[in-house]
Amino acid sequence: MEAYLAAIAVIALIYVLLSLGLNLQYGLTGLINFGHVGFFAIGAYASAILALRGVPLVACFAAAAALAGIAAWPIGLISLRLRDDYFAIVTLGFSEIVRLVVTSERWLTNGVQGIPGIPRLFASLEGPAAQLATLAVILAVVVLAAWIMRRIGKSPFGRVLEGIRDNEEAVKALGKDPAGFKIQVLIVGSALAGIAGAFYAHYITYIVPEQFIPLVTFYVWMAVIMGGVGRVSGAVVGAGILMLFLEGSRFARDVLPGISEVEMASIRLGLVGVMLILFTLYRPQGLMGDYTRR
Amino acid sequence: MFYAQLAVNGLVQGLVVGLAALSITLVFGIARFPNAATGDAMTLGAYSGLVVHRDTGSLALGSLASVGAAALVLVLAYVAVFRRLAGRSVVALLVASIGVGFVVRAALGVAFGHSQLVFQLPLARPYVVGGLRITPLDLQLAGIAAVALAVVFAILYLTPIGRQMRAVADDPDLARVSGIRPARVMLAMWALAGAVAGVGGLMLGIKTIVMPDIGWDLLLPAFAAAILGGIGSPVGAVLAGLLLGMTQEISTPFVGFTYKIAISFVVMLIVLLVRPRGLLGRLEGTR
Repeated sequence: MEAYLAAIAVIALIYVLLSLGLNLQYGLTGLINFGHVGFFAIGAYASAILALRGVPLVACFAAAAALAGIAAWPIGLISLRLRDDYFAIVTLGFSEIVRLVVTSERWLTNGVQGIPGIPRLFASLEGPAAQLATLAVILAVVVLAAWIMRRIGKSPFGRVLEGIRDNEEAVKALGKDPAGFKIQVLIVGSALAGIAGAFYAHYITYIVPEQFIPLVTFYVWMAVIMGGVGRVSGAVVGAGILMLFLEGSRFARDVLPGISEVEMASIRLGLVGVMLILFTLYRPQGLMGDYTRR
Repeated sequence: MFYAQLAVNGLVQGLVVGLAALSITLVFGIARFPNAATGDAMTLGAYSGLVVHRDTGSLALGSLASVGAAALVLVLAYVAVFRRLAGRSVVALLVASIGVGFVVRAALGVAFGHSQLVFQLPLARPYVVGGLRITPLDLQLAGIAAVALAVVFAILYLTPIGRQMRAVADDPDLARVSGIRPARVMLAMWALAGAVAGVGGLMLGIKTIVMPDIGWDLLLPAFAAAILGGIGSPVGAVLAGLLLGMTQEISTPFVGFTYKIAISFVVMLIVLLVRPRGLLGRLEGTR
């Protein structure tokens, strides 16, 4: 039971990391990143491949963050030139291309068979101790990231980001260049997604391209929108609700017999869709959002 | 000759992409957001056509079912969701359209499962014309597409409602002060966009297989074609779809089977960066 709870907590914290990154990009800056899972995948594959070549895990995590961040750079350069909706399509396309690449480049990623046997964190520790240590590490990373996000939100830098979200022309008129800010935000958010990917790879120990479908991006979107756009607390609450939903749907099969795993996957997809629709219709500010504005 | 054969093979694929792009560009031009539910409306069209064809044996009735089901779902989505989001940001509409797509795909997944279904059509010997092998099925599909396109363009360019749609696409405010009722135009537009997606879905289902994901997987090439053709340009969307479909097939020997999908992404990026108004689009802010 403890092991199960610890497992859920680790996955939930990975989603918190992803939500914090997206919240910085969309919530604070207004960038519609529909390709979050692409950066998550880059982090996961980078760290897994390096770790299996014998690179120390700390360096693997650093490489995951760096590579995901670097991948965001050209996307950022493009984003400067595109309107919101086009940027959304381009990022969605980017994440699908990442999935194509990891599916096709078998020499590097083993294609659809995926990469098994990725080393765990704290493999030297025995039994539950390893899992608790992993939980502690990822919790520390999440707390640090959340703290940094809060600081960013309150800083002059964060106020410029909010300005870009609310009125980019006004920000330009005040002599700030939105371009540089957008690129930085994309890189930081994507690096966070890369770290989340590394944690995921080393925790699950087995990755295949199928795990990095666009649905994951929209899980994170659901978390951010439900929790509250632009709020650090919202990202945490939203990821928590998401986890309850994902795990709850697993238990629902015990309560409602006769539903196959495939059907459950469809029902889960449909519920994500319903949530996205209902929240955009009725509560665009999310549960923890700012109630004074729409 | 080899490449000419690939181009012929790509023709039907290109028509499918073109129909999807036409649906996207109609919505984008008039409702002003990229409708991510287009792909799943196509999937619904494919399943509806498959079921009716299986039960009645008539492909004509199947096509009607495809058109009707896909048009109905997009009109319903408009009435229930998109209409209430009018005036909100593009993000809200985009996220809601993703939600609509998920709901449609989930319903199909629950109703039909995830196993591959295929249209039971008689196999026929291909015609050989000047060394090119053309299957009767491809000819039929091209015929269906040609009829559908003829009807759509007739509606757009020969009827009052089509003229009103184009007026709203051009300038919504000017259209309104000219006495055009936006609600009617929107309903007609969504029905038309759905019908087009339904035909595309039917063709996709006949040409390949029917699964809950087929429409979503086509979304990226379809967006690419809509952008390449110029947002809001119906003719451009169809031409760009044909172009992309054939390019994908012709490039397969060079880039391999999986990477041919990436071609549409690359084309889309280049168009957005170099010529954002596409082939036939008007000058409009994409930046």
